[in-house]
Amino acid sequence: MRGAHLVTAFAVLASAAAAAPPPGERISFVSCPIVRDTRSVPCWLAEYEGETYYLTIQSDVSAEVQPPMLGHRVLVEGVVSDAPPICGGIVLRPVRLSVMPELDANCNTLLPADERYTIDFAPRPPGPSGGRLAFARDPNAPPARPAPEGPQTLDIYFDFDKGVSFRHPGELMSILRIARELPARRVRITGVRGAHRLSDGTLLRESDGVARRRAEEVASLLRGAGLEADAEIDWIDGEAEADGIDDWRSRRVTVVLTP
Amino acid sequence: MIRPIELCLLLSACAAAPVLAQTPSRTVDTLTEWWLAPGDGRVLPAYVEYENDLGRLGIVNAGGPVETAGHPFFEPLGTNGRACVSCHQPADGMSLSVATIRRIWEATNGTDPIFAPVDGMNCPNLSRGDPASHSLLLERGLFRIALPWPPVDADGRRITPEFTLEVVRDPTGCNTHPVYGVNGERREVSVYRRPRPAANLRYVVSSRFGVTPFIGKTGMLAAVDPETGRPVNMNMMADAREPTLATQAQSAARTHMEVEKPLSPEQLEKIRELELQLYAAQAFSNGAGRLDEPGGPSGLGPRAMERGEDGVLGNNTTRFVIPMENKWADLPEGRDAEERERNAFRESVQRGHDVFFFRTFWIRDAMHINTVGLGNPIKRTCATCHGMHMTGMDTANGWMDVGTTNHPWALEPPESPWADKLPELPLFKITCREDLPPHPFLGRVIYTQDPGRALISGKCEDVGAIVMQQFRGLAARAPYFSNGSAANLRELVDFYDRRFNIRLTEQERIDLVNFLSVL
Repeated sequence: MRGAHLVTAFAVLASAAAAAPPPGERISFVSCPIVRDTRSVPCWLAEYEGETYYLTIQSDVSAEVQPPMLGHRVLVEGVVSDAPPICGGIVLRPVRLSVMPELDANCNTLLPADERYTIDFAPRPPGPSGGRLAFARDPNAPPARPAPEGPQTLDIYFDFDKGVSFRHPGELMSILRIARELPARRVRITGVRGAHRLSDGTLLRESDGVARRRAEEVASLLRGAGLEADAEIDWIDGEAEADGIDDWRSRRVTVVLTP
Repeated sequence: MIRPIELCLLLSACAAAPVLAQTPSRTVDTLTEWWLAPGDGRVLPAYVEYENDLGRLGIVNAGGPVETAGHPFFEPLGTNGRACVSCHQPADGMSLSVATIRRIWEATNGTDPIFAPVDGMNCPNLSRGDPASHSLLLERGLFRIALPWPPVDADGRRITPEFTLEVVRDPTGCNTHPVYGVNGERREVSVYRRPRPAANLRYVVSSRFGVTPFIGKTGMLAAVDPETGRPVNMNMMADAREPTLATQAQSAARTHMEVEKPLSPEQLEKIRELELQLYAAQAFSNGAGRLDEPGGPSGLGPRAMERGEDGVLGNNTTRFVIPMENKWADLPEGRDAEERERNAFRESVQRGHDVFFFRTFWIRDAMHINTVGLGNPIKRTCATCHGMHMTGMDTANGWMDVGTTNHPWALEPPESPWADKLPELPLFKITCREDLPPHPFLGRVIYTQDPGRALISGKCEDVGAIVMQQFRGLAARAPYFSNGSAANLRELVDFYDRRFNIRLTEQERIDLVNFLSVL
């Protein structure tokens, strides 16, 4: 009997190992995020079909990948990397995370620090350190791009079912700047309702009305911040294409500035 | 009782401030010496100190002595006898402590203008002079703030809020009153808040960090200065409803002073000028001694506030929030009992600073901090949010909800048939619209004593979000939090410990309290 258990357990492990997606495979799923504490900063993980994936670590507000939230599920869209596991998770890189808006009390796993898991990241200590602020301009950054010419198309991307947030001040400022530099005589603002093809084949669509809300919100904010050209607003709320490849790009507003 | 103090010899500024020679004790008997009543016609010196329970507060009046006679900050300009100084007393760090309010009540039998019906009573319809009518002011230092419902924008246009508001509990009777209530003739929501310090305002209104047309934490439009059209940091009032010192003064004159005509541009400028030249901080600590002595921590004392740089993130790569340079770490034992005691207290202050700055804990479910790209939770420290150099405020757009007014965290007497005390503040039920995302931590139904910023923005996510306050002069102006729910510094620290499950040790709590007491 004991032998049968062992065989079963081995088979399950083998099956799980076999199910691990190969490097380069795109993967998209919705699940609860998991926080694993470490000696320094916590890392963020998510489980899907028996595998644990590493998403990101807590760093700073300007991080390329910002951590999700306990209390909410997270939409994960990433590519399996061949990098060594981090915090016990298969590394997704690049990865795009979107906090799902509805609350989910099941998403509440905060694991204590475990010496087996360390991260190769030294957080900036509190207080003077001689380092550079995460959001300070990189002195080695390329110079600002030349003044724009001709029609400009700019996309703003959103979290699932969400409108303008902390992610967008910089992008809105860029649109304002370009509109002034052109100068833009016509502005067309198009909101799009996103859709996602998850790895299990499920089609996940944003809510009705989100495309219009986004377009109107962006138009209102640009107008309020001094955009002088009249903005033409429309929205795409119909059946969106979704093939599991960078579907996050469908959650957007497109702004076309025409001189 | 007047007690001479010796510090003139230590402070170079005293040469320019000969008025600094005495520190009036804070009793009713000495009221006329520390209480600046409207129209008193005195001189606010270039430097002055006032006693408080934990030591002495220093006020630097950087522009030099000010004749209060004829000055619009000090003169009663309205119909109820109040002046700006009524609620922004130098002795109280340019705020107003509940201890002072009680002394003024005792000295004037409740006739001082601060007890005016408009907001010095729980509701204007109550009978003036009955302590019960003024209970929130007398017990928690709270003035009534009546805000239009639904909200209106800076141009007076009605905002369609993302939520409905119901009055669940109304101990003051004001929110259900036929005139003053939410559904009354005036369509107002009454919330109850502490007056904020009108000192160190160069820091508070600085636009040198992170101020753009769009609010960094939300992407929404920043308020603008109506005179310049430029965005402002929205860090001055509990709900950020006024963009500049001038608009705040104008609004306060209308609502709190009940002026019959708007203040003139000249009056507004004089008020603004004065407010930007006043610096307040604890100058002497009963435990730590002089806080501004040569060679001591550079961030302590009111002169440090005068010298400091505004618009700077303190929790960063070049600066601390409150610079102490470890000056009070590992002090010698001391030559006598007095010095030993002082050094021990100073070491406690230093440890409290280190707890504030380095002690990590999980910051969780706090709106406008866990929603700005750091994750929920984040493992950080007090200084993560209280990051502005020298003040401990947020550097820009500092409204957050840490639970001071929202259920389940807001402090309230327990509902119980055996309780001696009943809840004193109103309770509102906020129901957020179904077609919009819910509040990320509180869902679509929120119970709150004060919807905070949401009463201005109409945003569900702003319910209970309050602009954080500066840390300076705390010893002079208890109680704390916008709703006066922490009677003293220990209760303030305990609130955070409970809210964020920090699990501070008893020693860490003592050290934090001592640190806060010397700011």
